Amino acid sequence: MNLLRRPWRLAAEASALLIALVVAFPLYWMLLSAFKPAGEVESTEPRPWTLAPSLDSFRRVFGQQDFGRYFVNSLVVACSVVIVSALIAFLAATAVTRFRFRFRTTLLIMFLVAQMVPVEALTIPLFFQMRDFGLLNTLGSLILPHIAFSLPFAIWMLRGFVKAVPEALEEAAYIDGASRARFLWQILFPLVLPGLVATSVFSFISAWNDFLFAKSFIISDTSQSTLPMALLVFYKPDEPDWGGVMAASTVMTIPVLVFFVLVQRRLVSGLGGAVKD
Amino acid sequence: MTSATHRATRAPWLYLAPALVVLGGLLVYPIYQLGLISLFQYTQAQVSGGEPTTFQGFGNYSALFSDPEFWQVLLATVLFAAGCVVSTLAVGCALAVLLTRVRAVPRLALMLAALGAWATPAVTGSTVWLFLFDPDFGPVNRILGLGDHSWTYGRLSAFFLVLLEVVWCSFPFVMVTVYAGIRAVPAEVLEAAALDGASQWRIWRSVLAPMLRPILTVVTIQSVIWDFKVFTQIYVMTNGGGIAGQNLVLNVYAYQQAFASSQYSLGSAIGVVMLLILLAVTLGYLRLLHRQGEEL
Amino acid sequence: MKLSPRLPALLLTALVVTACAPQTSSNSSSDKDDKTGTLRVWLFQEVGNQPKKKVVDAAVAAFEKAHDGTKVDVEYIPIETRAQRVKAAFNDPSSAPDVMEYGNTDTAGYVKDGGLLDVTKEFGAWTEAKDTDPTAKTSVTVDGKVYGSPFYVGVRALYYRTDVFKELGLQAPRTMAELAETARKIRAAEPELYGLVVGGAYTYGAMPFIWANGGELATGKGGSYASAISGAAAQKGIKEYTSLFTDDNCPAAKCAGMGGNDTITAFAAGKAGMAIGGDFSHTAVEAGKVKGKYAVVPLPGVSAGSIAPAFAGGNNIGVLKSTSHRTLAVQLMEQLTSKTTQASMFDAMGFLPTFADVRQRVAAQQPYVKPFAQTLAAGTKFVPASPAWSQIDSSLVLPTMFQEVISGKKSVAAASGEAAKKMNDAFGTVG
Repeated sequence: MNLLRRPWRLAAEASALLIALVVAFPLYWMLLSAFKPAGEVESTEPRPWTLAPSLDSFRRVFGQQDFGRYFVNSLVVACSVVIVSALIAFLAATAVTRFRFRFRTTLLIMFLVAQMVPVEALTIPLFFQMRDFGLLNTLGSLILPHIAFSLPFAIWMLRGFVKAVPEALEEAAYIDGASRARFLWQILFPLVLPGLVATSVFSFISAWNDFLFAKSFIISDTSQSTLPMALLVFYKPDEPDWGGVMAASTVMTIPVLVFFVLVQRRLVSGLGGAVKD
Repeated sequence: MTSATHRATRAPWLYLAPALVVLGGLLVYPIYQLGLISLFQYTQAQVSGGEPTTFQGFGNYSALFSDPEFWQVLLATVLFAAGCVVSTLAVGCALAVLLTRVRAVPRLALMLAALGAWATPAVTGSTVWLFLFDPDFGPVNRILGLGDHSWTYGRLSAFFLVLLEVVWCSFPFVMVTVYAGIRAVPAEVLEAAALDGASQWRIWRSVLAPMLRPILTVVTIQSVIWDFKVFTQIYVMTNGGGIAGQNLVLNVYAYQQAFASSQYSLGSAIGVVMLLILLAVTLGYLRLLHRQGEEL
Repeated sequence: MKLSPRLPALLLTALVVTACAPQTSSNSSSDKDDKTGTLRVWLFQEVGNQPKKKVVDAAVAAFEKAHDGTKVDVEYIPIETRAQRVKAAFNDPSSAPDVMEYGNTDTAGYVKDGGLLDVTKEFGAWTEAKDTDPTAKTSVTVDGKVYGSPFYVGVRALYYRTDVFKELGLQAPRTMAELAETARKIRAAEPELYGLVVGGAYTYGAMPFIWANGGELATGKGGSYASAISGAAAQKGIKEYTSLFTDDNCPAAKCAGMGGNDTITAFAAGKAGMAIGGDFSHTAVEAGKVKGKYAVVPLPGVSAGSIAPAFAGGNNIGVLKSTSHRTLAVQLMEQLTSKTTQASMFDAMGFLPTFADVRQRVAAQQPYVKPFAQTLAAGTKFVPASPAWSQIDSSLVLPTMFQEVISGKKSVAAASGEAAKKMNDAFGTVG
C-alpha cells in the first residue's frame, strides 16, 4: 500500500521502530537482569548493559532437579490442550455458524459467560472433580481444565473463520455428492486451518504460563510438575532471587516466542480471515 | 452474513456434543458449585471435613454488600478496567493502522516486539515493569530526570503504572487482530478513499471501523473480560493492593479477603458478583450492537 | 440478536436450588500404625537446595538404617506453592505426606483445618525436647497441645553501616529514642541515604516497636483472643514506628509501600544507614554493595541496654493426621529436628537451631550469629496462636493500619481502632 508520500512514510517508519524499541525494552531488561551477576541486578546505578555477563542465574535454573522433566511436561500439556481444544472448537464453531437452531444465541452467550468466571474461584470445585476422576497428580488434571477454559474463547474466535468460507462452496460439494463428514474434514477443515492456528496461540499461552492449576492439582508427585513451578522456586518470601526469576522467565518466554514466529504469518492471515464476510 | 444456513435439528447438536460435554462437566458444573458455595459457610475446616457445612442463605452477600470497602473497590475496578480497555483499544488500533503504512523491516520489528510482550508471563512482566519504575533502582526515573519520584505512592499514579503494564501486555492481541482485519479489506476501497482526499482519521472512522466492526466487537468484549479480572499485575506491582489498600480491584480483594485465608464462601460470593457484572456489561454492549443492526 | 429471557431465570434457579451441599472430604485420622513401608516427607525447596538435601539425606539414611523395612521418600516443594499444596493434602489424604515442614505462623490454622497430628505425648517423652527454647515451643503449641517439632528459628536485628557510623562519629543506638535520633543524623549528613530504612508493609519489622512499648497484638488464651492493637501502649509503639516515615529519615512516598525484603534490598545496595533484617538476610546483604562495611546489633528497646522483643519466625516439622505410620512418622520428625540434624543444617544453610545449647555452640563459631542469638535469648514474641491469624495476615490488616497512619489518611487512634475491629471480627468468626 503506497498511500503515503515519502516523508510521511519515513516518519511512520521511524515511529514504528521507536515504538518497537519501547515495547521491547522491558523484555531487554528481563534478559539483561538474567545475565547480570548477583548484586548488580538491584544496584543504585542501573546500567542498561553489563560488563560481566554471567550465566550463574541460568545455571541455578537449569540446575534444578528434574528441570528437563518439567519442560517436557509443560510441552505435553500445552500441545495436548492446543490440539484437542482446536478439534472440539472447530466442530462447535461449525455448528453455531452453519446451522440455525433453537438456543443458538443462548449458547453463544453462554460461551461468553464462561470466560467471565474468575478462575481462582473455580479451583476448589475443580479440585474435588479431579479427585473424583482420579486425575490428581497427573498431567490430565492440568490438560482437562485447560481444554475447558480455552474452548469458549476458541469457539468464539473460530466463528468468524468458519463464516468466511463461502456457503456456495458447501452447496457445490454436496452437489458433487460429498458426504457431510467429507465436506467437514476434507474441505472446510483445511480452509479454516489458519484460523485454528491463530486461536491455538491463546490456548498455548494460557496452558504454558499457568501457575494456578499446576500448584493446586499436582500435589505429591513432583515428576508431574510443570515449568512455572521451576520459576516459583525463586520467589522466596524473604529474599526473592531476581536474577533467577528473570532467567527462568527468559527460558519460559523463548518457546512461546518461537511458536509465535513460526505461526506469525498464519496468525495474521488467519485473523484477517475473520472479517472477509 | 449467514443467510442460507441449514435448518437442521440433530446435526448441530452432534457437532456440539464434545464441546458441551467438556464445558458442562468442567465449567458449568464448577460454576454451579461456585454459586452453591456462596450460600454456605465454607472454609478450609469445612472443606477438609473438620466441621459441618451450614447453610447461610444470602448471608455472605449481605456481609459483602454492607462493607463500604467493597463498594469502593467495585467503583475503582470499573473505572480502572474502563481505562485499560479504552487505552488498549486505542493503542492497538493506532499501531495496527501504523503497521499498514510501513515497509517490511519496521513492521517486522514492531510485530516481534509486540509478540514478545504478549508471550511474557504476567508475573514476570509485572516484576520487570516494577523494576523499570523503581525510584531507587529503575532506569525510567533516570531517563526522565525524575530523581527518586515514587510511582506507587499516589493512588492515581500507581493505577497509571499498572495500566501501562496491562496495556503493554494486552495491546498486541488487539494490534495483530485489527491489523489482520485491515489487510483483509480490499486495497481499492482504501485507495479510493485516499484519492478522495480523506484524512487518516476519516478513513478509519468512515471506512475501516465499519468494515472491522465484527473484529472490534470481539476485541472489545475480550478486553472487557480480561481487564475486569486483572489480578497478577495489581497484586505484584502494588504489593497486594497498594498503600492502605488504595489500589485494590475486585479480584485481588476477593483473593485477600477470601481465598488466601480459605474463606471460600465469601470469595465465591465475590466471584458470582463479578460474573453478574460482566454479564450485564457484555449483554448491554451486545444489545447496543444489535440495535445498530449487528448480529452475533 | 435476541436475548433469551430464559437465561437469567436459568442462572437464578441454578443458584437458588440447593439440592445438596458443596463437596467436602472426610479427613478423619487414620487408625493404622504400620511399622514398615514408605514414609513420604515434604520439605521446602530453598533456592540453593543442595546443601539442605545433603543434610536431610544423611538424617534419612540414619533413620532407614535404624528401622528395617522402611523407606523414606523426600519431596521438596516450592515455598510459593505451599498454601495450595498443604490444603490439597488435607483434602486428599491419598496425596498427603506423612511428615511435613511448615511455617510456624501457620500452626494454628493447620490445626484448625484438622490436618496436624497431636504429638504432645511423644514430644514430652523425647529427651532432646527439653532443651527446646520456649518461644520455639510456643510456635508448635495450640491450646496447650503440641503439633510438631521446631526445625529452625528466624529472628530480626539491627543492621548498620560501620563506614557511615565511623565517618559521622556515631555509636550503635542503645535505646529506641536514640535509634530515631541516629537515623535522622545519618539522613541529614548523607541526604541520599535513608537513615533507618523502614517499610509500611513490613509487619514483622514493626512489631518490636509495639512490643517494646509494652503493647500487644492480641491478648487471651486458646480460642478466645481479643485484639489489643488499639491499647494505649500499642498505639505508642505504632506512633514510634510510623514517625520514622518522614522526609528526614525515610520519606513516606517511598517507604510506605515497602515490605521487609525491599528494606533489605535498599540496605544491601548501600541506600540506607540502618535496616531491620533477619539472620536469613545475611547472605543477601553479603552479596550486595555493603559487604564488609556493616555490623549487626540487637534492636534496642525503650530503656538503655534492653533489647526490643523480636518476632520469632521459623519453620516446624509436623506429622499429618492422615498418616498410616504414626509411630514411625513421629520418630522421623524427631530425627529431622534432632540436635545433630539442626547443627549440620546450620552449617549447610545458616538456619538458626531451636535448641538453646546448640545455638550457643554455633554462635561461637560464626560471629555474625551473635546478635541474633542475643535477641533470641532476651526473649522473643509470637503472633497469636489462633487460626484467625492467617486471615488477619492475608487480608493485610496491620500493613493497612500502618499505611493509613503514614500517608496521613487516619490518626493512630482511628487506624488502630479499625484494625482492632477487623481483628476481633476475625477472632470471632474463625475462633
